[in-house]
Amino acid sequence: MRTAICSWLAMVGFLHAGGLVFEQELMEIHAPTDAKTVVAEFKFENKSDKPVTIAKFDKVCACISVQVSDGKLSYAPGEGGVIRATFEMGNFAGVVDKTVVLWFDKDPEDKPSQVLTVRVHIPVLVVMNEKTLKWTIDGPPETRKIDITMSYDKPIKIVGTTCTSENFKVEVNTLAEGKHYELLVTPTNTKDPGLAIIRVETDCEIPRHKVLQAFAVIRKDLPPNP
Amino acid sequence: MKAWAQLAGVLALALAAAAITYWVKGPPERAVRCDPAKLQADEVCLERVLGEWRGKVLWVDARPRGVWERNGMAGALLWNLDPNENMQAFEAEVAGRMLDGTKVIVYCDNENCGTSRQVAGRIKTLQLGNEVFVLYGGWRALTAAKLTRNF
Repeated sequence: MRTAICSWLAMVGFLHAGGLVFEQELMEIHAPTDAKTVVAEFKFENKSDKPVTIAKFDKVCACISVQVSDGKLSYAPGEGGVIRATFEMGNFAGVVDKTVVLWFDKDPEDKPSQVLTVRVHIPVLVVMNEKTLKWTIDGPPETRKIDITMSYDKPIKIVGTTCTSENFKVEVNTLAEGKHYELLVTPTNTKDPGLAIIRVETDCEIPRHKVLQAFAVIRKDLPPNP
Repeated sequence: MKAWAQLAGVLALALAAAAITYWVKGPPERAVRCDPAKLQADEVCLERVLGEWRGKVLWVDARPRGVWERNGMAGALLWNLDPNENMQAFEAEVAGRMLDGTKVIVYCDNENCGTSRQVAGRIKTLQLGNEVFVLYGGWRALTAAKLTRNF
């Protein structure tokens, strides 16, 4: 009977293995303006009394590469390691969360043991106070404006604009060269619904801030969101 | 009794218990259980999308391009957070389809992925005024409801 009980207990222990404790589950990183990648290191330790194996890890984006302590996946009680997540910044700006999901031992597919989050703060150098300008169908074709502020230690100039619709006239008003601009947008008429894409080109040396996008929309009014 | 016989006895008991559970409670639940009372403010259950809104929504797939192409919802637009993708093209494509005021539902792989909430946030920053929701259970819920393509 002793053998049977021992076998049973061994199986129960195997099913409940899972004791990697992370120092941080959310890591916030403030990236330098010109950074192309950032690295987050999540330190952990096996605080259970059984070995734990990282059976699988997944990331929600091709922009993250994940390394686990030189490829070591099994950890004895008391042993520790590091999950190193490298995040490619690409054309992101603002705040971006990226997650790494870990399955230990026999975790079911839909119930991973651990979710780690890298929250990257990427400086926004060109700030538009509005993303979309709106007019109501048959409403007055008034000029509306977007305020554009440069938030960088070097001047950033607007060097051009384009609009996908001939129904809108787009002008740039310079308030402080390299620092502060207004984008003035005026529809010729508001008879038909439509959407135009306005692109603003800057001379910023950092590629992700070279082209900004805004929208001009003519449509019927929507009810307010609940 | 020998040890192997005892072990066989324990296993037989466990199997019998599993069989009785299956007989009494039925097969394991594979559908995504969505309790409206437990949803976060920006989440929605698939049942509401298909029932109350009759599926007349704009679907946005927040997964990688490869899986969107392989088994995304029919008609779903792609908007993920892969830095190799053109975010401005995503914005333009989705904005163009939001003009009629339709509700927007974003999904990613499952309850754990989190990308759909970030994409929903980015769609809201377009300031078009449409209601934007995250689908609880994501693609897993759509698959359980047999609404996805699988090639």
